[in-house]
Amino acid sequence: MPEAVYLLGAFTSFLCAVLLLRGYAAGKRKLLLWSGLCFAGLGISNGITFIDLILLPQVDLYSYRLAATAISIALLLYGLIWTSQ
Amino acid sequence: MAESDQEQRRVDQFILEKIDSVSHLEALLLLWNSRPKQWSPEELARRLYVETKMARGLLADLQRSDLIVGASSSNESYCYESRSEEKDQLIELVDATYRFQVVKISNLIHSKGSSAVRDFARAFRFTKKEQE
Amino acid sequence: MTRVQAFLLGITVMMSTTAGVFFLKFWRSTRDVLFLAFAAFFLLEAVDRTTLFIFARDNEGNPWVYFIRLLASLAILAAILKKNYGGGRHRTL
Repeated sequence: MPEAVYLLGAFTSFLCAVLLLRGYAAGKRKLLLWSGLCFAGLGISNGITFIDLILLPQVDLYSYRLAATAISIALLLYGLIWTSQ
Repeated sequence: MAESDQEQRRVDQFILEKIDSVSHLEALLLLWNSRPKQWSPEELARRLYVETKMARGLLADLQRSDLIVGASSSNESYCYESRSEEKDQLIELVDATYRFQVVKISNLIHSKGSSAVRDFARAFRFTKKEQE
Repeated sequence: MTRVQAFLLGITVMMSTTAGVFFLKFWRSTRDVLFLAFAAFFLLEAVDRTTLFIFARDNEGNPWVYFIRLLASLAILAAILKKNYGGGRHRTL
């Protein structure tokens, strides 16, 4: 059950990342770049969570997960603040 | 002046879908009324009383939305190219409507929210469709 | 939980909340449900992590966590599907 949730989370994040980055490639709209990178990062964070809790329970990757999430959302916030009026 | 409700709706829909700001509309209508004259960003900037950089952005945006064409790639110049009667009719309608309803159309444009936000939403369409 | 982890958790909650509020604003101006879904996603993230922190069960081994995460992900997926396959012919976004 938890495995499915983390994988679903990763899937959703990567899907959003792909759609947004594709949109950025088409129109060069900065907001799409930053939010796309954010969701890519969140997808990675979900992936690390999956690895941490399911695949390698003996290793603690909590700090890395948190760092990945924090950086991702920071990128998003940068995009949101600069590009929305 | 828009003759009927349907025409009014076509104009509104066009504005909602394709026009990002009043400046974009003014630039488009300027190119339309002077067609097929070619404009450079500098010329447009002088005419619209904006900075050249902004004019360049307006022209690029209009081209990206497929409303005008880049006339030559060596020097930056753009013009309105008549490619379909339907499109011409629509722009003529928009032009006529805008002359008489400046305030209404300006409000419509401003009510849309930032174009960056709309592009964000649009990115989540799986396929790019022209109309709904 | 180390101090670094607590710090990272704190700033993440703060940034998530802020992002959520931005998306609420976008929802209000565009009336596009997609933004509501994103707002829910980020606000739920923030609430989720805060609750975890308060109940001192970090490392996310808690069933409530998945449930809320699941809801948040499903909200976004549902909104995306609705945008592409849902009815309604007058959406211009």
